Amino acid sequence: MKNRLVPWLPGLGAVLLWAPIVVAQEWALDLAPIDDADWSPARAAHLLERAGFGGTPEEIAQLASMTPEQAVAYVVRFEGAPAAVLPPFDHSGVFEAGLDPFPPSRPAVTEAAKEDGQALGITVKPGGNRRTQAIVNQFFYWLRASRLETGRVAYWWANRMLVSPRPLEEKMALFWHGHFATSEDKVRDYRKMLQQIELLQRHGLGNFGDLLQAVAKDPAMLAFLDAGVNVKGAPNENFAREIMELFTMGVGHYSETDIREAARAFTGWNFTGTQYHFNKAAHDAGSKTVLGRTGPLTGEAVIDVILEQDATAQHIAGRLYRFFVRDTLDPQLQAELGRVLKSSHYELAPFMEVIFRSRDFYAQESIGTHIRSPVELVISTYRKLGLKAVPGVPDFNVVTSALGQNVLFPPTVAGWSGGRSWVTPGLLFERGNFVLDVMFPDVAFVPPDRYPGYSAEIIEVQKRLRAGLDISRATTPAGVGSGGMDMAASNQLADRDEDFNTRYGSFRGWQMALERVQPIPRNVAQVDLTAMVLASGAATPREVVESLAMRFFAVPLEADTLTRLAKFLESELGTTDVKAAETFMEEPLRQLLHALLSLPEYQLG
Amino acid sequence: MRSRAFDRRTFLQMSGALAAGYAMPSFAMPSRERILVVVELSGGNDGLNCVAPFGDDAYYRQRPNLGIRQQQLLQLDDHFGLNPGMTGMHRLWQDGQLAIIHGCGYDNPSFSHFTSMAYWQTAAPNSGNPYGWIGRLADAMLPEPAPNTIINIDAAQSLAVSSRVHSPVVFDDPMRFERLGFAGTRQALADAPHTATGNPARDWLLGVAKSARDGSALIRAACSNYRPSADYGIAPMDLDKVAACIAADLPARFYYVAFRNNAFDTHVQQADLHQRLLTYASDAIAGFIRDLEEQGQADRVVVLAFSEFGRRVPENANLGTDHGAAGPMFIVGRPVRGGHYGDLPSLTELDAGDNLVPTTDFRRVYATAIEGWMAPGRSTEVLGGNFKPLPVFG
Repeated sequence: MKNRLVPWLPGLGAVLLWAPIVVAQEWALDLAPIDDADWSPARAAHLLERAGFGGTPEEIAQLASMTPEQAVAYVVRFEGAPAAVLPPFDHSGVFEAGLDPFPPSRPAVTEAAKEDGQALGITVKPGGNRRTQAIVNQFFYWLRASRLETGRVAYWWANRMLVSPRPLEEKMALFWHGHFATSEDKVRDYRKMLQQIELLQRHGLGNFGDLLQAVAKDPAMLAFLDAGVNVKGAPNENFAREIMELFTMGVGHYSETDIREAARAFTGWNFTGTQYHFNKAAHDAGSKTVLGRTGPLTGEAVIDVILEQDATAQHIAGRLYRFFVRDTLDPQLQAELGRVLKSSHYELAPFMEVIFRSRDFYAQESIGTHIRSPVELVISTYRKLGLKAVPGVPDFNVVTSALGQNVLFPPTVAGWSGGRSWVTPGLLFERGNFVLDVMFPDVAFVPPDRYPGYSAEIIEVQKRLRAGLDISRATTPAGVGSGGMDMAASNQLADRDEDFNTRYGSFRGWQMALERVQPIPRNVAQVDLTAMVLASGAATPREVVESLAMRFFAVPLEADTLTRLAKFLESELGTTDVKAAETFMEEPLRQLLHALLSLPEYQLG
Repeated sequence: MRSRAFDRRTFLQMSGALAAGYAMPSFAMPSRERILVVVELSGGNDGLNCVAPFGDDAYYRQRPNLGIRQQQLLQLDDHFGLNPGMTGMHRLWQDGQLAIIHGCGYDNPSFSHFTSMAYWQTAAPNSGNPYGWIGRLADAMLPEPAPNTIINIDAAQSLAVSSRVHSPVVFDDPMRFERLGFAGTRQALADAPHTATGNPARDWLLGVAKSARDGSALIRAACSNYRPSADYGIAPMDLDKVAACIAADLPARFYYVAFRNNAFDTHVQQADLHQRLLTYASDAIAGFIRDLEEQGQADRVVVLAFSEFGRRVPENANLGTDHGAAGPMFIVGRPVRGGHYGDLPSLTELDAGDNLVPTTDFRRVYATAIEGWMAPGRSTEVLGGNFKPLPVFG
C-alpha cells in the first residue's frame, strides 16, 4: 500500500487516509525522521497542507509515491519541482514626482505649504478661496491610490500562493510577513510594501541572518518603525525595541539599557524613496554596550551580536514551529530546535527539512490540530477546488480582512496572533459565508476598488456637490447637528481651516485615484463539482459526501454529520444514483459543499 | 423618558423574536442587573497629555514642546486640565460622573505593548494566566455556563474575556454576525449533538460554534433596530453597539471594546494625532453615557477605561513620546462619584528610565469595580490577592 496512492474510493479511502494517524502517539517531541515504511498518502497530504496551501488528490498521490526524504526535498528544496515562472507585479503607474518624501500627516502638508508656498509638487494658489486645496487633494490622492494599489499587490501575491509550483516560498513569505509585520496603513507607499514582500519571497527560505539584516534596512520597515527619525542625541527606541522583542530574542533576554544603547547604534538609518540611505551625520558613532558587547557598534554589528544569542535561535525556531507544526511548544523541544537552527548557521531550508521529516510533525498531536489562518483557508479552498486564478468575486482583500488577516495590513507590529485568535463566533460564520460567496457569487457584488462603499460619506458629498451646494455645505455630514443632538467635538473640527477642506480633498482624492489605478479583474470562480465528484468514482450521496470530506478536510467527520449531509444531498438529487444525476447535480453539490465547508471542523488544517 | 425607553425595548424584543424566527422569553420587567463596560485604549495612552498637570512646572520642563499650555486645556481645577480634545469627558467631569485614578501601573513594568497588555488583561503580571480578569469575574459571579454573559466586540477575542466557564460572544460587525445560506443548507447545518473528540482544537471550535448559534440572532436584532439618541463622534469604539445590546435587554453583564490596533502608540509628531485620538475616545464615551441616559439605563452601567502603559515623561526628539509606565485610568457613569483618586506620581522623582513611578496598583482599580459595582466580596478571589478598593462608588 505504501508509496502508492490509495485509489480515491470513498468510504474505503477515508478509512485508509485517516487510519495511520491513530497509532503515532508516541512520536510527539521526537525530531528523528520518520521511516520510509511510515510514509503514506495521509502524511503526504499533511505535508502539503502545512508546507504549502494544501494538495489536490493528484499532488498528494505524487508526493506519496516518493520516499519521505524525497518528498520533503521536493517541498523544501524544490528538487524535481518545476521552475516557478510567475509574472512580476504589474504597476498601474500611480506614483508621481513630488510625492517623495511623503509628509507624515495632512496638517504637516498644509503647514509645509503655508511655509514654502508649495508642497507635494503643487504650488499654493496666489489668491482666492481654499488656496491649498489642490495640495490637500493630491495628499488624499496618494493615500487612496497607494491603498488601492496595495490591494492589487495582495491579489498578485495571492495568485502566486495559488499557482506557484513552489508554494513553500510563498508560505515562508507569509510567515515572515507576520513576523516582520509592516502595514501599508502607516507606510503609505505600496512600492515599499511590494519591495518588502519580494524580499521575503527571495530570502524566506535562505539564511535568517541575511534576511534580518536586509529587513532592518528595508524602507517599508524603516518607515513603519519610525527609524527614519532616529537621530544622534535623541534616539527613538521603537525600532531597537521591536528588533529585540519581536524579531529576534523575545521578551526577557535583554534589558531596557540594551534597547537604549542599540537605538543609538541604529541612528542615521533612513531611506530615500524606495532606497536605504545611511545618514552619517545623524549616526552616533560613540561607544555603546549591547548585550555585554562594548565598542563603537554599528547597527549591523548590533544585529550580529543579537544573532549570536541562543535566545534568538530559540525564539525564531519556536515561531516557525508554532506556525508550521502546532501551537503548543514544549520548552525542551524549543531548546533543541534552537540548537538545530544555530548549528546550521541560521540556514532555514535544512531547518525546515528537519521539522518536516520529524516524527513530531506527523504525531497525532500535530495532525488536524492547526487552525487555518484566513489566507490558508481561502487559498487552500481555491486550490482544492482546482482554480487557476484567485477569483475577483468575492474580493480577496474583503474576504481576508473580514476574516481577520488583511495581508499588507497586519494589525500591529506583532503581526497576527494566530491559533485560536483566528476564530470567534462571528468569524466562524464569516468563514462559512466566504464559501457561500464562492459557490454562489453575489449578483449584487460591487467592486470595492471602484466604489467607496467603506467611506460612504464621499458619495454623499458628491451628491450634494452635484446638486449645487457649496463645498462647506456639501461636506457637512448628514444627520449630524440635526434633531437636537449635540455635535461631537470631532465632527465640529472637520472644516475649520478656510485654506482647504479635508472632506472635499478626500472625495477628490478618490476621483483622481480611480483615474489612475488599474481595476482588479472581477472573474467569478469557475467551479465544476460535477466533474470532480464523477472523477472520484462516488456512486451514492454518501460516497459523494465522503469523497468531498476527504478532499477538503484534515480530520475525519462524525458518522452522524456524514449521514445528515448525505440525506440532504439525496433529497436534493431525488435519487441515490449519482451517475443518473449528472446533468442537474451541480447546484445541489454546491449547496452540499457550502454546508460541508461551513462545519467547525473545516477550520482545522 | 423611562416609559419611552421601555416601549422601545419591548418593540425590540418583539422584532428580535420575529427576526430570530422563534419565540423569545418575554421580559415582564426589563433587567436591572448591573453592567460593566471595559474600554481598552491600546498602544499606550500618554497620560500626562491626557490629564495634564499644568500646575506643576516640571511638566513643562519635561515637555518643552509637547506640554499643553494651561489656557488650551479644559481645566478641572487649579492643577489639572484635560486635553483640549476631550470636551465630552470634560462635560462628564462637570456632571460629577468622571473618576480619574492617577498613577496606575505595577512594579517592574514591562515596556512591551503585548506583554504589558496581557498583564492588564489578566490582572496577573508575569503569571501566564490563560484566563482574563473579566472572564474570572464572570466565572466567580456565574459559575454555570450562561449564554451571552460576556460580549466582546472586536476582530479577535481579547485575553481579558477569556473564561473557564463561559464562551464569550465575539463579533465585529453585528450585521454580518449571521450564517448566510439557503434554507436546505441551514437545515443540514442545524446543531447536532457533539461529543468531545480528544482533539483540543476541534473541541474548542465546537464550543465557539455553539456560542455563535446562541448569540447571533439576538445581537443582530438588537443592533439592526437601534437608533442612538446621542452623537458618538467619528470613532465610536463600538460603544454604540453596546448601547444597542443594552437597549435590547441582552443578558450580558460584561462588555469589552477597544480603540484598536495600538492606536495610541505616539512615538512621532504626537500632538495633533494624540489630541485627535483623545477627541474620538472622549466623544464616544460621552456619547455612550448620554445615550444611556436617554434610554433610562444610565444608572446600571459603568465604564472603565485603561491603557497598557503611559509614556516616557520627557518628550523625545521627534516630538513624540516613548513607552512609559504609570498612567491614569477612568471610571465613568452616573453611579460614579466623580473626582480625583490616587496620587499623581512625582514628575521629578522618576525611575531610572525616566518613567513615572506608579502610585496606584491597577488591580486596586479593578477591585474598585468588583467591590463597589459588580460583586462585593469577590475581588480577592478574582484578582488573586488583596487590593484595596478606592471610594469611587461612595
